[in-house]
Amino acid sequence: MQTPADITLTIDRLAYSAAANSTIMDVAHRHGLDIAGLCSSPQLSPYGSCRLCMVQVEGQRSLAAACTMLVRDGMVVTTRSPEIDRIRRTLLELYLSQAEAGGDLARLAARYGVRADRFRSARHMVPSATPDESSPYFRFDPSRCILCARCVRACDQVQGQLALQLHGRGFHSSVRAGNGTFAGSACVTCGACVLECPTDALLEKSRLDGAPITSSVKTTCGYCGVGCQFIVEKSNGRIVRMRPDAESPVNAGHACVKGRFAFEYVGSPDRLTRPLIREGPRGRGGFRAAPWEEAIALIARRFGELLKQRGPDAIACISSSRGTNEENYLLQKFARACVGNNHIDNCARVCHSSTVAGMQEVFGSGAATNSLTDIEQARLLMLVGCNPTEAHPVTGARIRRAVRAGTRLIVIDPRRIELAQYADLHLQLRPGTNVAVLNGLAHIIIAEGLANAEFIAARTENYDTFRHIIAAYTPQRVASISGVSADLLRRAARLYAGSAASMCCHGLGVTEHRTGSYGVMALANLAILTGHVGRPGTGINPLRGQNNVQGSCDMGALPSSLCGYQKLEDRAACERFERAWGRPLPRQPGWKIPEMYEAAIAGKLAAMWIVGYDVAQSDPNSTHVRRALESLDFLVVSDLFLGETAHLADVVLPAASSLEKDGTFTNGERRIQRIRTAVPAPGEARADWQVICDVATAMGYPMRYGHPSEIMDEIAALAPMMAGVSYARLEGNGLQWPVPDRAHPGTSLMHAERFPRGRARFAAVEYIPPGAEPDAQYPFVLTTGRVLEHYNTGTMTRRTGLVQIIDRDFLEVHPADAAEHGLRDGDVACVQSCRASARLTVRLSKRVARGNLFTSFHFPDAGVNELFSSSSDILTRCPEYKVLAVSLKRAS
Amino acid sequence: MVDVFLSCDSASRAAGSRQLEAVLRREQARRSDFGLTLTGSRGAFFMEPMLEVGTTAGRVAYGNVAVADVPFLLSAGMLEGKPIAPFYLGDPEQIPFLKGQTRVTFARCGRIACDSPLAYEKDGGLAGLRAALQRAPQDVIDEVQRSQLRGRGGAAFPTGVKWQTVAACAADQKYIVANGDEGDPGTYADRMLMEGDPFAVLEGMAIAAWAVGASQGFVYIRAEYPRAAAAMRTAAEKARQAGWLGRDILSSGFGFDVEVRQGGGTYVCGEETALLESLEGKRGIVRAKPPYPATCGLFGKPTIVNNITTLATIPAIIGRGGDWYASMGTGRSRGAMALQLAGALATPGLVEVPFGITLRQVIQEYGGGARPGRKLIAVQAGGPLGDLLGEDRWDIPIDFDAFAAAGGMLGHGGIVAYDDQTDIAALAYRLMEFCAHESCGKCAPCRMGAQRSAEILASMRLGNGMLDDEQALDDVAFAMRGASLCALGGMAPTPVLSAMKLFPEAFRPPTR
Repeated sequence: MQTPADITLTIDRLAYSAAANSTIMDVAHRHGLDIAGLCSSPQLSPYGSCRLCMVQVEGQRSLAAACTMLVRDGMVVTTRSPEIDRIRRTLLELYLSQAEAGGDLARLAARYGVRADRFRSARHMVPSATPDESSPYFRFDPSRCILCARCVRACDQVQGQLALQLHGRGFHSSVRAGNGTFAGSACVTCGACVLECPTDALLEKSRLDGAPITSSVKTTCGYCGVGCQFIVEKSNGRIVRMRPDAESPVNAGHACVKGRFAFEYVGSPDRLTRPLIREGPRGRGGFRAAPWEEAIALIARRFGELLKQRGPDAIACISSSRGTNEENYLLQKFARACVGNNHIDNCARVCHSSTVAGMQEVFGSGAATNSLTDIEQARLLMLVGCNPTEAHPVTGARIRRAVRAGTRLIVIDPRRIELAQYADLHLQLRPGTNVAVLNGLAHIIIAEGLANAEFIAARTENYDTFRHIIAAYTPQRVASISGVSADLLRRAARLYAGSAASMCCHGLGVTEHRTGSYGVMALANLAILTGHVGRPGTGINPLRGQNNVQGSCDMGALPSSLCGYQKLEDRAACERFERAWGRPLPRQPGWKIPEMYEAAIAGKLAAMWIVGYDVAQSDPNSTHVRRALESLDFLVVSDLFLGETAHLADVVLPAASSLEKDGTFTNGERRIQRIRTAVPAPGEARADWQVICDVATAMGYPMRYGHPSEIMDEIAALAPMMAGVSYARLEGNGLQWPVPDRAHPGTSLMHAERFPRGRARFAAVEYIPPGAEPDAQYPFVLTTGRVLEHYNTGTMTRRTGLVQIIDRDFLEVHPADAAEHGLRDGDVACVQSCRASARLTVRLSKRVARGNLFTSFHFPDAGVNELFSSSSDILTRCPEYKVLAVSLKRAS
Repeated sequence: MVDVFLSCDSASRAAGSRQLEAVLRREQARRSDFGLTLTGSRGAFFMEPMLEVGTTAGRVAYGNVAVADVPFLLSAGMLEGKPIAPFYLGDPEQIPFLKGQTRVTFARCGRIACDSPLAYEKDGGLAGLRAALQRAPQDVIDEVQRSQLRGRGGAAFPTGVKWQTVAACAADQKYIVANGDEGDPGTYADRMLMEGDPFAVLEGMAIAAWAVGASQGFVYIRAEYPRAAAAMRTAAEKARQAGWLGRDILSSGFGFDVEVRQGGGTYVCGEETALLESLEGKRGIVRAKPPYPATCGLFGKPTIVNNITTLATIPAIIGRGGDWYASMGTGRSRGAMALQLAGALATPGLVEVPFGITLRQVIQEYGGGARPGRKLIAVQAGGPLGDLLGEDRWDIPIDFDAFAAAGGMLGHGGIVAYDDQTDIAALAYRLMEFCAHESCGKCAPCRMGAQRSAEILASMRLGNGMLDDEQALDDVAFAMRGASLCALGGMAPTPVLSAMKLFPEAFRPPTR
């Protein structure tokens, strides 16, 4: 095998060094040499169809295609000659005889001075073509298509969707989506094909006017926790394209439908543009627009009064996993230093709080152990309670690519998710039985001698207690609890324990349970039982739901830990904060979000400031939440839109979106990445960090920062795990914490040498049945989750073209169950829990097992969250969104 | 009881043996004094349908037999081998057309029952495989190297070198693929073997598998060869039953099996990488090479892709020795070549002769020259992409390298003759149109170049050409030759340009 240094080649008389297995085109691309070519792309494997990149390789009789020819040491390449140019001119002429000039084809034709005269007369056929406008975001114009198949290959190799194909043969070939239109095909609108198209046959509708891109700025996606990097491209101040960054290790040039296309919400006409102050009774009254000065003054006055009247517990703050690290930091600083309590929480409470608790218990750290690039290094992937191709689409595509390249896959999920069809094993367990199944796997691993005794002895503790508990989880017993056969359990245990590198990814299907934290612990137990942690391609990796779930927790927007997960019990840490903030630090842990509601109803809590979190819409048992908010004396809400929560507010503050401000997000692999202002916020909307500063200052606690980078400097000074972070260092691909000092490169792999708590601790957790089990009255189990096209309460995505693809929440019903209840596809069903009912459109699907139902929760009018009780994780109060007993009938 | 032999080869059946078989079966039921054995064809198609009778004195042939002649022949003593005019041909192997040939690969074709492993073994079959299994794989490869056998599919790549490459690859799985996608118009050698001596193909594959360590083989047969596919399937099943395919070949402990697959009806799948794509269940389009199939072939595994005729030659080479095979031939073209004569010849058919005799000898001595009253004007060798050879080039020897040096190619051994009745402009158009129709469409020069060239040739043919047509054709040809992904596009302009050079008057642009 030749090392890169071994290969030197000459291209047009200049010497270049190259890595083995690269093509001439790779080398040219890396060094910015422009060899003509339309069908090659750094994202795709060599194909060699356009033949424009023919070059002369010395000593070779015929010309070679630069895009497929591998480099050799000493190779001498010539990229231009009269012969080569003659071929290129003829080929371009042929292309122009078949296709309208667009994009790179037009540019190349101009460079080679080619027109299409000779083959455009009446005797020459031009294939007929009708544009396909069926996608909300791009159009396909076959008359511009040159059949380079980059779109087809991108669909195959990048997204793995295989929605596109080449149809027909020879001159009459055509690109086809499914059997006709993109909208009618398996296309998931990821846009990989559009990005690849060299002739604008596939073109974003936002770019149809051909306006040139006048400026661009790199930023981080504001949707899920994958943290894709985008180049926001603008034309005269308008965003026309979100181009995924090919250099980012996170998304490597790929994106999903939401990140790439669904940014129109930013310019939605119903954005909040001025502060609003309520007039009249709560919930029903109107609002009047007010100047910022008045709104800030009112908030400062009311907060001050209530603190004076009701004491330091009178005010609670809820921060947002959608906001930046800096904003989360500031809001918890506001709560702790300015208000003087720990009543600060964030929306991670309802998603991954159980992960943080569970992983901290076992490892001493609550964050992903490995990185997204580890997916390529794993030999086996085990997905538990997550649906990456829909909820974390770019990671989902990455997983599918790995699996198609030979990585083994186990899926543990009550639903036959899309990736289950690629899986070696699918353990379709009963909802709420994760702990039993995971303990059962541990049982088999121990019983069959597959445990890693060396690792257990060297790096863990509490094994004997664990083993004692696990002894009861025999395959037979687990099979009867979970519905997964003993045989399948055995095969999964062997596969997981036996691979050279097994990597777990989990999602809210693990955490959003009554025993969510236990489920996480049971999963982490497997990793330390087998030694599948602390090495590349292993570990426990929560897939974070929102863009900054990781960061909002890192920043200490939590009632019991400070920035950087420093404990309130840690005196030295607390004193450090007190010195920096100039105020005494409250040592009493604060309320978790559900406790805030209870306190409000009990009259203990008088006021709240809720930033970027529509609790009245997204939290379970919405009626209860609404009641809590209505009980408050004063409610301040900062948001992009006038949502359900904002409707109940006394003051509503218009916020800047992630495309309208500077800051940082931390993705699910602990990577702190910049967001940058791409467009100005509408009207008077402002970034939350500025507003927090103003309110704090008005309340007599001055907060003055010129730019979020200064906030980050303060964070770095206070949180040892981020001590080495600064905005200057975040240029490029960001930094993965821990970054203990300025010279540290960041940490892609955790726990390689030791665990933060020293030894990992086996958590001896028992299976406890879910809060609500089906019975005669409520015989079905309802679980909830995301669909690809929408995001959480849909506040953003419902204001985009995505509603043209999905315009409602669907209820997946097994065909046999549907038949028993007289339901057909498309019927409206009434789903009834002991608390409320919801109306949902039925979609027959074998993705759900019999007796189970599934729905998304993106269209609040359907009332899905009304159905749920306040049942929640025993440790963290993460809501039990994943198991609910319901009845099903046709809606009247 | 006397044996009557009748060819069930597709070409023989097209010539009438299908009807003949029906008549013979009827007669057989009535008389029950002869048995009917179906064989392949001996390749003397100008004498088909041909009947042979196994007399005590040996085989006796009767040619150009029509259905109505059968009762007469039977009553006239055909079963005793009587010399009945005008049908009687005597010992078929002494027929001048066949006598001068050197039948190696086609020795059994037409001689034995085509579906009988017993007949196959009795006529020398399996000697190669038995010998191979007694020897180390490398020995077997060395033997093939010594034979200097070159691939008969068209590219004439040294077979032993290909085998050596595959053998040298470390892989958990290797494949042997027999390329039976014989698409060149006017060629039929592979089909004759698959229909007439299918066990030889399987034996060759098994030897290849032993030599390189492959456990699975595929025979890929073009859609237009349903009888060949059926024959190969039957043969594979019978070979499996006879214990020389499957888990334990001839009790050697070596396992190898063969699956027969059919194409979807596209010429380009005869190109090895397109064939592999098709075999993988994908659209049959050409892959960029390298990597070559020998290192990265079917499902990404090291794969031998050999032509049917090549593989069917292997048993003889292993049985009789590489040196014996290499003792025939000339230059770097050793052994015997199966030439398939077609077109405007008096006596077309399959001719297997050692390399070295001239093209003129082949078309005159074997092909019988032009039909009465006609004159040959050109010969196209090597399929529809081959150069048109005018009479000045008929003295080149049958030799891959000599043909290449003369600007042509021998290819798969198709030789199509054109006489003075040929509409050359129509031929040129038709050849280019063939390429346009068969282009897989992957690479730009072939996909669009062939289409545009065919369109221009169509108008030239109708006298509607334009003044710059020749320049346009030349520019496109230059791009197709210099930049196409495979030989289809790269060579499609060859016959057209040579036709224009040989017969410029046929392409006169209009004088306006």
